[in-house]
Amino acid sequence: MIADLVQNTLDGLSAGATYALLALGFTLIFGVLRRANLSFGPAIMFGCYAATWTHVNFGAGLLLLALITVSGAVLAGAYVERLCFAPHRGGSAIAAMVASFALWMQFEELATLIMPRHLYAFPLLYEGDPLALGPFTLRIDALAMLGAALAACLALWWTLYRTRFGLAVRALIEQPAAAALAGINVPWVFVRVFALASAIGGVAGYLVVASHGQITPMLGMWATLKGLLAMMLGGLGSLPGAVIGGLALGLIEAHTQWYLGPQMRDLIAYLLLFVLLAARVPWMTTRSAS
Amino acid sequence: MSFLEVRDVVTAYGKIEALKGVSLEVAEGAITCLLGPNGAGKTTLMMTLAGILRPKQGSIVFAGEEIAGRAPHAIVARGVALVPENRLVFPAMTVLENMHAGAYQRGDKKTVPGDIERMFARFPRLKERAAQQAGTLSGGEQQMLAVARALMSRPKLLLMDEPSLGLAPLVVEEIFRIVTELHRDGTTIFLVEQNAHMALRVAQHFYLMEQGKVTFSGDPGSLAEDEVIRRAYLGSAQRPA
Repeated sequence: MIADLVQNTLDGLSAGATYALLALGFTLIFGVLRRANLSFGPAIMFGCYAATWTHVNFGAGLLLLALITVSGAVLAGAYVERLCFAPHRGGSAIAAMVASFALWMQFEELATLIMPRHLYAFPLLYEGDPLALGPFTLRIDALAMLGAALAACLALWWTLYRTRFGLAVRALIEQPAAAALAGINVPWVFVRVFALASAIGGVAGYLVVASHGQITPMLGMWATLKGLLAMMLGGLGSLPGAVIGGLALGLIEAHTQWYLGPQMRDLIAYLLLFVLLAARVPWMTTRSAS
Repeated sequence: MSFLEVRDVVTAYGKIEALKGVSLEVAEGAITCLLGPNGAGKTTLMMTLAGILRPKQGSIVFAGEEIAGRAPHAIVARGVALVPENRLVFPAMTVLENMHAGAYQRGDKKTVPGDIERMFARFPRLKERAAQQAGTLSGGEQQMLAVARALMSRPKLLLMDEPSLGLAPLVVEEIFRIVTELHRDGTTIFLVEQNAHMALRVAQHFYLMEQGKVTFSGDPGSLAEDEVIRRAYLGSAQRPA
Protein backbone atom coordinates (compact mmCIF):
# COMPACT_ATOMS: atom_id res chain seq x y z
CA MET A 1 0.00 0.00 0.00
CA ILE A 2 2.52 2.53 1.20
CA ALA A 3 4.97 1.32 -1.41
CA ASP A 4 2.37 1.98 -4.14
CA LEU A 5 1.70 5.42 -2.77
CA VAL A 6 5.38 6.33 -2.72
CA GLN A 7 5.98 4.82 -6.18
CA ASN A 8 3.02 6.74 -7.66
CA THR A 9 4.19 9.93 -6.00
CA LEU A 10 7.63 9.52 -7.54
CA ASP A 11 6.14 8.85 -10.98
CA GLY A 12 3.77 11.77 -10.55
CA LEU A 13 6.56 14.15 -9.60
CA SER A 14 8.66 13.23 -12.60
CA ALA A 15 5.73 13.75 -15.01
CA GLY A 16 4.74 16.84 -13.03
CA ALA A 17 8.18 18.36 -13.44
CA THR A 18 7.67 18.35 -17.23
CA TYR A 19 4.20 19.85 -16.82
CA ALA A 20 5.77 22.50 -14.62
CA LEU A 21 8.14 23.43 -17.44
CA LEU A 22 5.26 23.66 -19.92
CA ALA A 23 3.26 25.76 -17.46
CA LEU A 24 6.26 28.05 -16.87
CA GLY A 25 6.60 28.70 -20.59
CA PHE A 26 2.89 29.40 -20.86
CA THR A 27 2.91 31.64 -17.79
CA LEU A 28 5.84 33.70 -19.03
CA ILE A 29 4.02 34.52 -22.24
CA PHE A 30 0.66 34.98 -20.56
CA GLY A 31 2.07 37.09 -17.73
CA VAL A 32 4.06 39.40 -19.95
CA LEU A 33 1.72 39.72 -22.93
CA ARG A 34 -1.63 38.99 -21.23
CA ARG A 35 -2.30 36.73 -24.20
CA ALA A 36 -2.89 33.00 -24.43
CA ASN A 37 -0.56 31.47 -27.01
CA LEU A 38 -2.33 28.34 -28.28
CA SER A 39 0.60 27.64 -30.59
CA PHE A 40 2.92 27.15 -27.64
CA GLY A 41 2.63 23.35 -27.81
CA PRO A 42 2.71 23.08 -31.61
CA ALA A 43 5.91 25.19 -31.68
CA ILE A 44 7.45 22.63 -29.32
CA MET A 45 6.16 19.85 -31.57
CA PHE A 46 7.87 21.57 -34.49
CA GLY A 47 11.18 21.50 -32.60
CA CYS A 48 10.72 17.81 -31.76
CA TYR A 49 9.87 17.00 -35.39
CA ALA A 50 12.95 18.86 -36.60
CA ALA A 51 15.01 16.63 -34.30
CA THR A 52 13.16 13.48 -35.40
CA TRP A 53 13.69 14.39 -39.05
CA THR A 54 17.42 14.84 -38.43
CA HIS A 55 17.51 11.53 -36.58
CA VAL A 56 15.65 9.64 -39.31
CA ASN A 57 17.69 11.09 -42.18
CA PHE A 58 21.14 11.48 -40.70
CA GLY A 59 21.10 9.87 -37.28
CA ALA A 60 22.31 12.04 -34.45
CA GLY A 61 23.30 11.75 -30.78
CA LEU A 62 21.03 12.60 -27.86
CA LEU A 63 22.73 15.88 -27.09
CA LEU A 64 22.56 17.11 -30.68
CA LEU A 65 18.89 16.10 -30.88
CA ALA A 66 18.18 18.05 -27.68
CA LEU A 67 19.91 21.07 -29.18
CA ILE A 68 17.92 20.81 -32.42
CA THR A 69 14.65 20.41 -30.48
CA VAL A 70 15.25 23.51 -28.39
CA SER A 71 16.46 25.68 -31.29
CA GLY A 72 13.59 24.45 -33.46
CA ALA A 73 11.10 25.40 -30.74
CA VAL A 74 12.70 28.83 -30.31
CA LEU A 75 12.60 29.43 -34.06
CA ALA A 76 8.95 28.38 -34.28
CA GLY A 77 8.17 30.50 -31.21
CA ALA A 78 9.74 33.57 -32.81
CA TYR A 79 7.67 32.90 -35.94
CA VAL A 80 4.50 32.78 -33.81
CA GLU A 81 5.45 36.01 -32.04
CA ARG A 82 6.10 37.89 -35.29
CA LEU A 83 2.98 36.62 -37.01
CA CYS A 84 0.38 36.50 -34.22
CA PHE A 85 1.46 38.73 -31.37
CA ALA A 86 3.61 41.60 -32.67
CA PRO A 87 0.84 42.90 -35.02
CA HIS A 88 -1.80 42.82 -32.25
CA ARG A 89 0.28 44.41 -29.51
CA GLY A 90 -2.04 46.53 -27.41
CA GLY A 91 -4.87 45.44 -29.71
CA SER A 92 -7.30 42.57 -29.61
CA ALA A 93 -6.36 39.64 -27.38
CA ILE A 94 -8.86 37.43 -29.20
CA ALA A 95 -7.30 38.22 -32.58
CA ALA A 96 -3.87 37.16 -31.31
CA MET A 97 -5.28 33.96 -29.83
CA VAL A 98 -7.18 33.01 -32.98
CA ALA A 99 -4.10 33.75 -35.08
CA SER A 100 -2.07 31.46 -32.81
CA PHE A 101 -4.69 28.76 -33.38
CA ALA A 102 -4.22 29.15 -37.15
CA LEU A 103 -0.48 28.63 -36.75
CA TRP A 104 -1.18 25.54 -34.67
CA MET A 105 -2.91 24.06 -37.73
CA GLN A 106 0.00 25.17 -39.88
CA PHE A 107 2.55 23.39 -37.70
CA GLU A 108 0.49 20.18 -37.65
CA GLU A 109 0.03 20.24 -41.43
CA LEU A 110 3.71 20.88 -41.96
CA ALA A 111 4.66 17.98 -39.68
CA THR A 112 2.34 15.50 -41.43
CA LEU A 113 3.40 16.74 -44.87
CA ILE A 114 7.10 16.25 -44.31
CA MET A 115 6.78 13.15 -42.12
CA PRO A 116 3.51 11.50 -43.13
CA ARG A 117 3.53 8.49 -40.80
CA HIS A 118 1.46 8.87 -37.67
CA LEU A 119 4.21 7.65 -35.42
CA TYR A 120 8.00 7.92 -35.50
CA ALA A 121 10.52 6.42 -33.13
CA PHE A 122 12.69 8.77 -31.15
CA PRO A 123 15.94 7.65 -29.48
CA LEU A 124 15.32 6.81 -25.84
CA LEU A 125 16.96 8.76 -23.07
CA TYR A 126 17.93 5.53 -21.32
CA GLU A 127 17.47 1.94 -22.41
CA GLY A 128 18.77 -0.08 -19.48
CA ASP A 129 16.88 -1.67 -16.61
CA PRO A 130 15.20 0.47 -13.99
CA LEU A 131 17.01 1.01 -10.73
CA ALA A 132 15.67 -1.15 -7.86
CA LEU A 133 15.74 0.50 -4.45
CA GLY A 134 14.15 -1.81 -1.91
CA PRO A 135 10.47 -2.09 -2.86
CA PHE A 136 10.69 0.82 -5.34
CA THR A 137 11.78 0.83 -8.93
CA LEU A 138 13.17 4.05 -10.25
CA ARG A 139 13.13 4.52 -14.00
CA ILE A 140 16.40 6.19 -14.87
CA ASP A 141 14.79 8.29 -17.60
CA ALA A 142 12.12 9.47 -15.16
CA LEU A 143 14.87 10.52 -12.76
CA ALA A 144 16.70 12.29 -15.56
CA MET A 145 13.47 14.06 -16.51
CA LEU A 146 12.94 15.18 -12.93
CA GLY A 147 16.54 16.35 -12.67
CA ALA A 148 16.52 18.19 -15.98
CA ALA A 149 13.18 19.82 -15.22
CA LEU A 150 14.40 20.97 -11.82
CA ALA A 151 17.61 22.30 -13.37
CA ALA A 152 15.57 24.22 -15.96
CA CYS A 153 13.34 25.64 -13.19
CA LEU A 154 16.42 26.79 -11.28
CA ALA A 155 17.97 28.32 -14.39
CA LEU A 156 14.72 30.18 -15.05
CA TRP A 157 14.54 31.34 -11.43
CA TRP A 158 18.10 32.62 -11.69
CA THR A 159 17.32 34.40 -14.96
CA LEU A 160 14.22 36.05 -13.55
CA TYR A 161 15.52 37.03 -10.13
CA ARG A 162 19.22 37.60 -10.67
CA THR A 163 19.59 39.22 -14.10
CA ARG A 164 18.74 42.58 -15.64
CA PHE A 165 16.56 40.88 -18.23
CA GLY A 166 14.68 39.11 -15.41
CA LEU A 167 14.08 42.42 -13.67
CA ALA A 168 12.54 43.76 -16.87
CA VAL A 169 10.33 40.69 -17.28
CA ARG A 170 9.02 40.91 -13.72
CA ALA A 171 8.47 44.67 -14.06
CA LEU A 172 6.51 44.05 -17.24
CA ILE A 173 4.37 41.36 -15.60
CA GLU A 174 3.57 43.61 -12.64
CA GLN A 175 3.04 47.06 -14.20
CA PRO A 176 3.38 47.22 -17.99
CA ALA A 177 2.97 51.00 -18.23
CA ALA A 178 5.43 51.68 -15.43
CA ALA A 179 7.94 49.28 -17.00
CA ALA A 180 7.95 51.36 -20.18
CA LEU A 181 8.24 54.55 -18.12
CA ALA A 182 11.25 53.10 -16.29
CA GLY A 183 13.03 52.93 -19.64
CA ILE A 184 12.52 49.25 -20.46
CA ASN A 185 12.36 48.51 -24.19
CA VAL A 186 9.06 46.63 -24.05
CA PRO A 187 8.80 45.14 -27.60
CA TRP A 188 12.34 43.78 -27.33
CA VAL A 189 11.59 42.15 -23.98
CA PHE A 190 8.50 40.54 -25.58
CA VAL A 191 10.64 38.90 -28.26
CA ARG A 192 13.15 37.62 -25.72
CA VAL A 193 10.39 36.30 -23.45
CA PHE A 194 8.96 34.34 -26.38
CA ALA A 195 12.37 32.88 -27.11
CA LEU A 196 12.91 31.97 -23.44
CA ALA A 197 9.45 30.41 -23.06
CA SER A 198 9.90 28.40 -26.24
CA ALA A 199 13.31 27.19 -25.11
CA ILE A 200 11.84 25.98 -21.80
CA GLY A 201 9.01 24.33 -23.72
CA GLY A 202 11.58 22.75 -26.04
CA VAL A 203 13.39 21.19 -23.06
CA ALA A 204 10.06 19.79 -21.82
CA GLY A 205 9.17 18.49 -25.29
CA TYR A 206 12.52 16.80 -25.69
CA LEU A 207 12.25 15.11 -22.28
CA VAL A 208 8.79 13.81 -23.11
CA VAL A 209 9.56 12.35 -26.54
CA ALA A 210 12.92 10.97 -25.40
CA SER A 211 11.35 9.18 -22.45
CA HIS A 212 8.42 7.82 -24.49
CA GLY A 213 10.69 6.92 -27.38
CA GLN A 214 8.14 8.05 -29.96
CA ILE A 215 6.52 11.12 -31.44
CA THR A 216 3.16 11.89 -33.09
CA PRO A 217 1.70 15.17 -34.38
CA MET A 218 -0.60 15.11 -31.33
CA LEU A 219 2.35 16.25 -29.21
CA GLY A 220 1.47 19.89 -29.98
CA MET A 221 -2.06 19.65 -28.65
CA TRP A 222 -0.89 17.58 -25.72
CA ALA A 223 1.70 20.18 -24.68
CA THR A 224 -0.71 23.11 -25.05
CA LEU A 225 -3.41 21.36 -23.01
CA LYS A 226 -1.10 20.19 -20.23
CA GLY A 227 0.63 23.56 -20.02
CA LEU A 228 -2.67 25.45 -19.97
CA LEU A 229 -4.15 23.11 -17.38
CA ALA A 230 -1.11 23.26 -15.09
CA MET A 231 -0.91 27.06 -15.44
CA MET A 232 -4.58 27.44 -14.51
CA LEU A 233 -4.32 25.05 -11.56
CA GLY A 234 -1.45 27.11 -10.16
CA GLY A 235 -3.13 30.46 -10.73
CA LEU A 236 -2.93 32.54 -13.91
CA GLY A 237 0.27 34.45 -14.37
CA SER A 238 2.10 33.28 -11.25
CA LEU A 239 5.51 31.69 -11.82
CA PRO A 240 5.79 29.73 -8.55
CA GLY A 241 2.13 28.82 -9.13
CA ALA A 242 3.08 27.30 -12.49
CA VAL A 243 5.56 24.98 -10.81
CA ILE A 244 3.08 24.01 -8.11
CA GLY A 245 0.31 23.54 -10.69
CA GLY A 246 2.55 21.34 -12.84
CA LEU A 247 3.65 19.13 -9.97
CA ALA A 248 0.08 18.93 -8.67
CA LEU A 249 -1.19 17.88 -12.09
CA GLY A 250 1.48 15.17 -12.31
CA LEU A 251 0.61 13.83 -8.86
CA ILE A 252 -3.14 13.90 -9.51
CA GLU A 253 -2.71 12.01 -12.77
CA ALA A 254 -0.39 9.39 -11.28
CA HIS A 255 -2.65 8.67 -8.33
CA THR A 256 -5.95 8.64 -10.23
CA GLN A 257 -4.44 6.37 -12.85
CA TRP A 258 -3.45 3.90 -10.16
CA TYR A 259 -6.61 3.99 -8.08
CA LEU A 260 -9.30 4.74 -10.68
CA GLY A 261 -7.77 3.54 -13.92
CA PRO A 262 -6.21 5.29 -16.93
CA GLN A 263 -9.51 6.37 -18.46
CA MET A 264 -10.26 8.49 -15.37
CA ARG A 265 -6.85 10.17 -15.43
CA ASP A 266 -7.59 13.18 -17.62
CA LEU A 267 -11.18 13.38 -16.47
CA ILE A 268 -10.24 13.96 -12.83
CA ALA A 269 -7.75 16.71 -13.71
CA TYR A 270 -10.35 18.59 -15.79
CA LEU A 271 -12.99 18.02 -13.13
CA LEU A 272 -10.69 19.51 -10.52
CA LEU A 273 -10.05 22.55 -12.72
CA PHE A 274 -13.79 22.93 -13.25
CA VAL A 275 -14.52 22.76 -9.52
CA LEU A 276 -11.73 25.21 -8.66
CA LEU A 277 -12.91 27.68 -11.30
CA ALA A 278 -16.56 27.33 -10.29
CA ALA A 279 -15.66 27.84 -6.63
CA ARG A 280 -13.66 30.97 -7.55
CA VAL A 281 -10.66 29.98 -5.44
CA PRO A 282 -8.80 33.21 -4.65
CA TRP A 283 -5.43 32.27 -6.18
CA MET A 284 -7.07 31.45 -9.51
CA THR A 285 -8.99 34.66 -9.96
CA THR A 286 -6.35 37.17 -8.92
CA ARG A 287 -3.39 37.66 -11.16
CA SER A 288 -0.44 37.97 -8.86
CA ALA A 289 3.07 38.51 -10.09
CA SER A 290 5.25 36.35 -7.94
CA MET B 1 15.21 79.22 -24.66
CA SER B 2 12.65 76.77 -23.57
CA PHE B 3 13.75 73.30 -22.48
CA LEU B 4 10.54 71.60 -23.46
CA GLU B 5 8.35 73.04 -26.16
CA VAL B 6 4.93 71.55 -26.84
CA ARG B 7 3.18 72.80 -30.01
CA ASP B 8 -0.43 72.10 -31.04
CA VAL B 9 -0.43 68.57 -29.66
CA VAL B 10 -3.57 66.57 -30.34
CA THR B 11 -3.99 63.20 -28.61
CA ALA B 12 -7.12 61.14 -29.13
CA TYR B 13 -8.63 58.01 -27.62
CA GLY B 14 -10.27 56.57 -30.70
CA LYS B 15 -12.28 59.47 -32.12
CA ILE B 16 -12.44 61.45 -28.90
CA GLU B 17 -9.76 64.10 -28.69
CA ALA B 18 -8.53 64.48 -25.12
CA LEU B 19 -5.93 67.07 -26.14
CA LYS B 20 -7.23 69.54 -28.69
CA GLY B 21 -4.06 71.36 -29.69
CA VAL B 22 -2.04 71.97 -26.55
CA SER B 23 0.89 74.39 -26.64
CA LEU B 24 3.13 75.25 -23.71
CA GLU B 25 6.74 75.67 -22.69
CA VAL B 26 8.84 74.56 -19.75
CA ALA B 27 11.92 76.61 -18.86
CA GLU B 28 15.16 74.91 -17.87
CA GLY B 29 15.78 74.76 -14.13
CA ALA B 30 12.28 75.90 -13.20
CA ILE B 31 9.23 74.30 -11.64
CA THR B 32 6.34 74.66 -14.05
CA CYS B 33 2.96 73.50 -12.96
CA LEU B 34 -0.13 72.46 -14.84
CA LEU B 35 -3.47 72.99 -13.14
CA GLY B 36 -6.94 72.06 -14.21
CA PRO B 37 -10.10 70.24 -13.20
CA ASN B 38 -10.58 66.48 -13.55
CA GLY B 39 -10.90 65.37 -17.14
CA ALA B 40 -9.10 68.43 -18.52
CA GLY B 41 -6.50 66.17 -20.17
CA LYS B 42 -3.58 66.74 -17.79
CA THR B 43 -2.70 63.06 -17.41
CA THR B 44 -3.18 62.53 -21.15
CA LEU B 45 -0.62 65.27 -21.78
CA MET B 46 1.84 63.66 -19.37
CA MET B 47 1.37 60.24 -20.98
CA THR B 48 1.89 61.83 -24.40
CA LEU B 49 5.08 63.57 -23.28
CA ALA B 50 6.39 60.26 -21.88
CA GLY B 51 5.56 58.39 -25.10
CA ILE B 52 2.91 56.04 -23.65
CA LEU B 53 0.34 57.75 -25.85
CA ARG B 54 1.11 58.73 -29.42
CA PRO B 55 -0.04 62.21 -30.44
CA LYS B 56 -2.16 62.48 -33.59
CA GLN B 57 -0.47 65.72 -34.52
CA GLY B 58 1.74 68.45 -33.15
CA SER B 59 5.33 68.53 -32.01
CA ILE B 60 7.15 67.99 -28.73
CA VAL B 61 10.68 69.33 -28.76
CA PHE B 62 12.92 68.50 -25.82
CA ALA B 63 16.40 70.06 -25.62
CA GLY B 64 16.23 70.81 -29.33
CA GLU B 65 15.12 67.34 -30.38
CA GLU B 66 11.72 66.15 -31.57
CA ILE B 67 10.42 63.42 -29.25
CA ALA B 68 6.76 63.22 -30.28
CA GLY B 69 5.79 59.65 -31.18
CA ARG B 70 8.99 58.07 -29.93
CA ALA B 71 8.89 54.93 -27.76
CA PRO B 72 8.82 55.52 -23.98
CA HIS B 73 12.22 53.93 -23.39
CA ALA B 74 13.77 56.16 -26.04
CA ILE B 75 12.30 59.22 -24.33
CA VAL B 76 13.64 58.09 -20.94
CA ALA B 77 17.05 57.63 -22.56
CA ARG B 78 16.91 61.26 -23.74
CA GLY B 79 16.40 62.47 -20.18
CA VAL B 80 12.65 62.76 -19.60
CA ALA B 81 11.21 60.68 -16.76
CA LEU B 82 7.59 60.55 -15.61
CA VAL B 83 6.42 59.83 -12.07
CA PRO B 84 3.03 58.45 -13.08
CA GLU B 85 -0.33 59.14 -11.52
CA ASN B 86 -1.07 56.58 -8.77
CA ARG B 87 2.70 55.95 -8.52
CA LEU B 88 2.57 52.52 -10.23
CA VAL B 89 5.43 51.00 -8.24
CA PHE B 90 6.17 47.32 -8.91
CA PRO B 91 4.34 45.88 -5.89
CA ALA B 92 5.91 42.42 -5.64
CA MET B 93 9.43 43.70 -6.24
CA THR B 94 11.57 45.04 -3.40
CA VAL B 95 12.22 48.74 -2.93
CA LEU B 96 15.79 48.20 -4.12
CA GLU B 97 14.65 46.30 -7.23
CA ASN B 98 12.21 49.10 -8.05
CA MET B 99 15.12 51.52 -7.99
CA HIS B 100 17.26 49.26 -10.17
CA ALA B 101 14.39 49.08 -12.65
CA GLY B 102 14.50 52.89 -12.85
CA ALA B 103 18.16 52.68 -13.88
CA TYR B 104 17.41 50.00 -16.51
CA GLN B 105 18.41 51.88 -19.64
CA ARG B 106 21.48 53.56 -18.18
CA GLY B 107 24.75 52.69 -19.86
CA ASP B 108 26.89 53.62 -16.85
CA LYS B 109 26.26 50.65 -14.57
CA LYS B 110 29.14 51.54 -12.25
CA THR B 111 27.52 54.74 -11.01
CA VAL B 112 24.19 53.09 -10.15
CA PRO B 113 25.12 51.98 -6.58
CA GLY B 114 26.31 55.51 -5.79
CA ASP B 115 23.02 56.94 -7.06
CA ILE B 116 21.08 54.47 -4.93
CA GLU B 117 23.05 55.62 -1.87
CA ARG B 118 22.17 59.23 -2.73
CA MET B 119 18.49 58.29 -3.07
CA PHE B 120 18.62 56.61 0.33
CA ALA B 121 20.17 59.74 1.80
CA ARG B 122 17.33 61.80 0.33
CA PHE B 123 14.65 59.27 1.29
CA PRO B 124 15.80 57.64 4.57
CA ARG B 125 12.48 55.76 4.86
CA LEU B 126 13.26 53.90 1.64
CA LYS B 127 16.61 52.82 3.02
CA GLU B 128 14.91 51.29 6.08
CA ARG B 129 12.57 49.41 3.76
CA ALA B 130 15.07 48.56 1.00
CA ALA B 131 14.43 44.79 1.17
CA GLN B 132 10.67 45.11 1.64
CA GLN B 133 8.15 44.52 -1.16
CA ALA B 134 7.02 47.86 -2.57
CA GLY B 135 3.37 46.85 -2.24
CA THR B 136 3.69 46.83 1.55
CA LEU B 137 4.73 50.51 1.72
CA SER B 138 2.37 53.30 2.75
CA GLY B 139 1.01 55.64 0.07
CA GLY B 140 3.54 58.34 0.90
CA GLU B 141 6.43 55.89 0.85
CA GLN B 142 5.26 54.52 -2.50
CA GLN B 143 5.18 58.06 -3.87
CA MET B 144 8.75 58.61 -2.69
CA LEU B 145 9.76 55.32 -4.28
CA ALA B 146 8.11 56.36 -7.55
CA VAL B 147 10.09 59.62 -7.45
CA ALA B 148 13.31 57.78 -6.59
CA ARG B 149 12.71 55.28 -9.39
CA ALA B 150 12.25 58.10 -11.89
CA LEU B 151 15.35 59.91 -10.61
CA MET B 152 17.41 56.73 -11.06
CA SER B 153 17.27 57.33 -14.82
CA ARG B 154 19.12 60.63 -14.19
CA PRO B 155 16.48 62.73 -15.92
CA LYS B 156 17.07 66.27 -17.11
CA LEU B 157 13.34 66.86 -16.97
CA LEU B 158 11.15 65.28 -14.30
CA LEU B 159 7.45 65.01 -15.05
CA MET B 160 5.21 64.47 -12.04
CA ASP B 161 1.56 63.54 -12.35
CA GLU B 162 -0.45 64.33 -9.20
CA PRO B 163 2.20 63.39 -6.64
CA SER B 164 -0.06 64.42 -3.74
CA LEU B 165 -3.04 62.31 -4.84
CA GLY B 166 -4.66 60.47 -1.93
CA LEU B 167 -1.99 61.41 0.61
CA ALA B 168 -2.44 62.85 4.12
CA PRO B 169 -1.67 66.59 4.50
CA LEU B 170 1.59 66.01 6.38
CA VAL B 171 2.79 63.62 3.68
CA VAL B 172 1.80 66.13 0.99
CA GLU B 173 3.97 68.71 2.78
CA GLU B 174 6.87 66.26 2.64
CA ILE B 175 6.36 65.53 -1.06
CA PHE B 176 6.43 69.24 -1.84
CA ARG B 177 9.51 69.72 0.32
CA ILE B 178 11.17 67.07 -1.87
CA VAL B 179 9.99 68.83 -5.03
CA THR B 180 11.58 72.09 -3.90
CA GLU B 181 14.77 70.24 -2.91
CA LEU B 182 15.01 68.61 -6.33
CA HIS B 183 14.49 72.00 -7.94
CA ARG B 184 17.17 73.55 -5.77
CA ASP B 185 19.55 70.79 -6.87
CA GLY B 186 18.97 71.78 -10.49
CA THR B 187 16.25 69.42 -11.76
CA THR B 188 13.72 70.89 -14.14
CA ILE B 189 10.23 69.89 -13.03
CA PHE B 190 6.90 69.86 -14.82
CA LEU B 191 4.19 69.13 -12.32
CA VAL B 192 0.51 68.28 -12.66
CA GLU B 193 -1.43 69.01 -9.50
CA GLN B 194 -4.97 69.02 -8.21
CA ASN B 195 -3.74 70.72 -5.07
CA ALA B 196 -3.48 74.16 -6.68
CA HIS B 197 -2.56 76.05 -3.49
CA MET B 198 0.42 73.79 -2.88
CA ALA B 199 1.52 73.81 -6.50
CA LEU B 200 1.39 77.60 -6.82
CA ARG B 201 3.52 77.91 -3.70
CA VAL B 202 6.45 76.06 -5.28
CA ALA B 203 6.09 76.83 -9.00
CA GLN B 204 7.68 79.67 -10.95
CA HIS B 205 5.19 79.44 -13.77
CA PHE B 206 1.83 77.81 -14.26
CA TYR B 207 -0.60 76.79 -16.97
CA LEU B 208 -4.30 76.20 -16.62
CA MET B 209 -5.81 73.48 -18.76
CA GLU B 210 -9.52 73.06 -19.39
CA GLN B 211 -11.26 70.64 -21.73
CA GLY B 212 -8.14 69.66 -23.61
CA LYS B 213 -6.76 73.15 -24.12
CA VAL B 214 -4.44 75.54 -22.30
CA THR B 215 -6.69 78.43 -21.33
CA PHE B 216 -4.46 80.49 -19.10
CA SER B 217 -0.84 80.87 -18.16
CA GLY B 218 0.96 83.13 -15.75
CA ASP B 219 3.21 83.50 -12.73
CA PRO B 220 2.07 82.71 -9.18
CA GLY B 221 1.20 85.80 -7.22
CA SER B 222 -0.43 87.49 -10.17
CA LEU B 223 -3.86 89.04 -9.79
CA ALA B 224 -5.52 86.22 -11.65
CA GLU B 225 -4.43 83.59 -9.15
CA ASP B 226 -7.72 83.30 -7.25
CA GLU B 227 -9.66 82.94 -10.46
CA VAL B 228 -7.19 80.30 -11.69
CA ILE B 229 -7.47 78.31 -8.47
CA ARG B 230 -11.24 78.41 -8.66
CA ARG B 231 -11.21 77.21 -12.23
CA ALA B 232 -8.58 74.58 -11.49
CA TYR B 233 -10.99 72.99 -9.05
CA LEU B 234 -14.29 73.60 -10.78
CA GLY B 235 -13.58 74.21 -14.44
CA SER B 236 -14.84 77.30 -16.24
CA ALA B 237 -17.79 75.39 -17.66
CA GLN B 238 -19.34 75.30 -14.21
CA ARG B 239 -18.92 79.01 -13.63
CA PRO B 240 -22.23 80.45 -12.37
CA ALA B 241 -23.89 82.80 -14.84
